[in-house]
Amino acid sequence: MMELTIPVIGVSVWFIVKIFVLFALLVYTIFSVVVVRQVNLMTETLKVGLESPLKIIALTQLILAILVFIFALIIL
Amino acid sequence: MPDIFVANEQENKKENSQEVDKKPFKEQKGTARHNLSGHSHNPFSAFSYYPDRANFVTQDPDEKIVLLLRKHPISNLRWIFIAALLIIAPFFLTAFPIIDFLPVRFQTITILFWYLLVVTFIFEQFLNWFFNVYIVTDERIIDVDFVNLVYREISDANIDQIQDVTAQMGGAIRTVVNYGDVIIQTAAEVPKIELEEVPYPDRVSRILRDLRIEEEQEKLEGRVR
Repeated sequence: MMELTIPVIGVSVWFIVKIFVLFALLVYTIFSVVVVRQVNLMTETLKVGLESPLKIIALTQLILAILVFIFALIIL
Repeated sequence: MPDIFVANEQENKKENSQEVDKKPFKEQKGTARHNLSGHSHNPFSAFSYYPDRANFVTQDPDEKIVLLLRKHPISNLRWIFIAALLIIAPFFLTAFPIIDFLPVRFQTITILFWYLLVVTFIFEQFLNWFFNVYIVTDERIIDVDFVNLVYREISDANIDQIQDVTAQMGGAIRTVVNYGDVIIQTAAEVPKIELEEVPYPDRVSRILRDLRIEEEQEKLEGRVR
């Protein structure tokens, strides 16, 4: 793959793309935290016996988001 | 000598079974409650009559849930179809290499990020369906709405404030699958509660009618809580 650089600041284009990707993943991770809070609020509002599985799914999603963020940090 | 004025046993049984059907829903106990066709006690059920383990945040200690309603599962088909398309979309990247200009490591992260977004989409849509419920208790009707991620709206109206109940069912799919809207006009602060796309709208309106009769009877007998 061709190594592109921005002449004025001498920074690789892929470095800038990496920053954007990491920022997007960070925003997604924060969003996943909100989803966990949302599931807590929902399960407090209505209890039908499925509270634990739903909380586990929300937490799994948060853990996946964190793992992908760390993975991106390593490989990019 | 046989007694000609005593009705035979079969006729008696028939009358008894009709009595069970005519009884107000609230009075039906034990197995009679579970004989209502179409309802289920499954936590995913869209039409649950006297659900086993359900309770909600503003429930009074002596308040019983009579009906727990959600939108008919068929209303989920649209987002399930979209989710299926989103899941298979990355497989078309070999035919349409739109991210081939990216280095492989960026491609990997892009696909992983895509699937994270798809998982979130599916989970959010499911939560939206699962927790936007209509609850009919022996005292009131509650509409639980989650407008966005962290905003909750719970509106309710007392059973004795119901003015009018309209069950609407139109269109081919709704008629075949048996679901529709139940529009409840109330004298409460919330003038109208719409139970949208609920299964068996006619049964819902019948249960509401019976609860209203029951409530009026309680008022007359001075048993109002």
